Amino acid sequence: MVMVTPAWVQRLQVTGLLAGVLLIGGCASWKVNQAAAELASVGPGATLERLESIQVPDRDRAQYLLNTGILKLYLGDWTGSREDLQAAKRIMQSLQAVSVSENFAAMTTNETLRSYDGTPTDRVLVHVMLALGYLFSGDPDGARVEMLQANVTMQTLAGDDSTRGQLASARFLAGVVYERQGEWDDALISYRHAYRILRERGETIPEALQISLLNLTRRQGFADEYRQLQQAFGREAQLPETGEGEWLLLYFDAVVSRKTESRISVYNAEVDTMISVVMPQYPQGYYQPRHLTLAAPEQRQRSEVIENLEVRAREDLAAEQAKHLAAATVRAVAKYKMVQKAQSQNDIGGVLMNIASVATEQADIRSWNMLPASLQVARLRAPATAPVQLLETGQPLPALQALGSRRLALVMASSLTDHPFIYPPPPASAVTPAPDATDEKGESHEAP
Amino acid sequence: MRYWIIVVTALFLTACATSVERVATDSTIDLSGAWNDTDSRLVAEEMIQDALSRPWLTDYTNRTGQRPAVIVGTVRNLSHEHINVNTFVADMERALVNSGRVDFVASRGERSEIREERIDQDLNAREDTRNAAGQELGADFMLKGQINTIIDVEGKEQVRYYQVDLTLISLADNRKVWLGQKKIKKYVKNAKLRY
Repeated sequence: MVMVTPAWVQRLQVTGLLAGVLLIGGCASWKVNQAAAELASVGPGATLERLESIQVPDRDRAQYLLNTGILKLYLGDWTGSREDLQAAKRIMQSLQAVSVSENFAAMTTNETLRSYDGTPTDRVLVHVMLALGYLFSGDPDGARVEMLQANVTMQTLAGDDSTRGQLASARFLAGVVYERQGEWDDALISYRHAYRILRERGETIPEALQISLLNLTRRQGFADEYRQLQQAFGREAQLPETGEGEWLLLYFDAVVSRKTESRISVYNAEVDTMISVVMPQYPQGYYQPRHLTLAAPEQRQRSEVIENLEVRAREDLAAEQAKHLAAATVRAVAKYKMVQKAQSQNDIGGVLMNIASVATEQADIRSWNMLPASLQVARLRAPATAPVQLLETGQPLPALQALGSRRLALVMASSLTDHPFIYPPPPASAVTPAPDATDEKGESHEAP
Repeated sequence: MRYWIIVVTALFLTACATSVERVATDSTIDLSGAWNDTDSRLVAEEMIQDALSRPWLTDYTNRTGQRPAVIVGTVRNLSHEHINVNTFVADMERALVNSGRVDFVASRGERSEIREERIDQDLNAREDTRNAAGQELGADFMLKGQINTIIDVEGKEQVRYYQVDLTLISLADNRKVWLGQKKIKKYVKNAKLRY
């Protein structure tokens, strides 16, 4: 016969409180994941509103800010995006030291009690997104700063595995930022890095990168390197001639997958105990990239994947999987011991402890889950006086001459919105404001 | 036992409270190792002292009998950090103007607002208080510059090297009459553990 004493009532309350607190935290992660799941259908504006209504614990702050920052970037709210992404970057940097208390909590309760400090891809990509924000708000030097910081972050992350935390998209964008400022040497070095990363991963070299490498080696007079690249790519440089310029398209396609929980529960009748082990996982990926085409009067160029974030996200998780499994095993043993100890003292205590141990076992399914599934690029030579079009969406872009930039203009488009952004900003006469476009500070530059 | 619980709780709550302490503006407080107010002040001090002690100033004054007029051009931030260059440029402007030996004229960004005000005066101000257009003081020199950094990282350790270069260019003949330089080097060790 079991006696229900005040002490047991108190323990029950503590157990309930602990489970409640953890479930509230888990609930926020679940809500964020749900919002990410619906991003493609409801769009970034509605998703941002939904996120802003969710209260997240401090330990999830970086993930929350990364998501609000990228949503604001999709919407052209450059200032808001910059504030959120800078804050997320600062938090992730401050969390690089190992936390004693969070490790203890993760080993005894679950992994979600660690603060979200970002995957290697997150830590580099935050610079990329910030650089785009700076660039499209008319601050190329700010974009340059972010690209230099991305370089330092990638150096820090590079270990024995030469591609871990190395993003070809970051190197490519750095090249574009340098090239736009006439820093040809730095641009070429960055394009070479992008090429090396893609080759080491065995991924396709997008034509935009091929053209960038060929054009710059030709322009800088590196004849041997030009010849080797020419043979490797089977094409010539496409340097703009008099009266011509270039368009560079950055296209964000779809939304990256979300992590889910994989749970294994075993009931041992002999000791009357349920043991649960959970691990984060990505569902089977069926992502097929869709493309966007830049079309000039006489030529067109289809965007190609330079960074498949579906693959990067899975690589980052796979690299952590052994650590997660070891932690889950230690936790299972610790919880089993606690249940056994509680059972030895009192049956109800054992049952309560077992319920708490199973309920608190949650996988860390947090991720920067509102990123695009892939980053794509295209580079097209075009007459300075002729307008260009984004073919699949039918959106016209002004002639390069109207932008006051005959050399290289950028257009950033996303499959989640109808508003491509262009840099340098077009004159006011060339812009038809979109209904929900942010233009308070003249920073967002929608294509007409 | 209860006594200790109260003491520990009190200490814990004290540690959580926000505290604000006023400190001297010239005190050095390094938190992250990034560029901060001290770096900006050191650059301004070095540049002011150097600019006022070099021969360009006396050469110009002796030749023309007037104070040189300087305009601030672009000071580019080519560093790894988002640095506000206006802080040390403003310090320099203030010190040089207050020395009574150099005039500064409004920069390109500032000029448009002043010209708009002058146009407005033409329409709305009393005639004897209006300032006429076409009376602006043309600059003799332009101050340009850049900040560069080199960052070396290994694990939790970093060496951060900053170099600030300022150049004064004669608008009459493009001569560089003064080159100022300040270098700052920092060794930063980030914590390996946190609570």
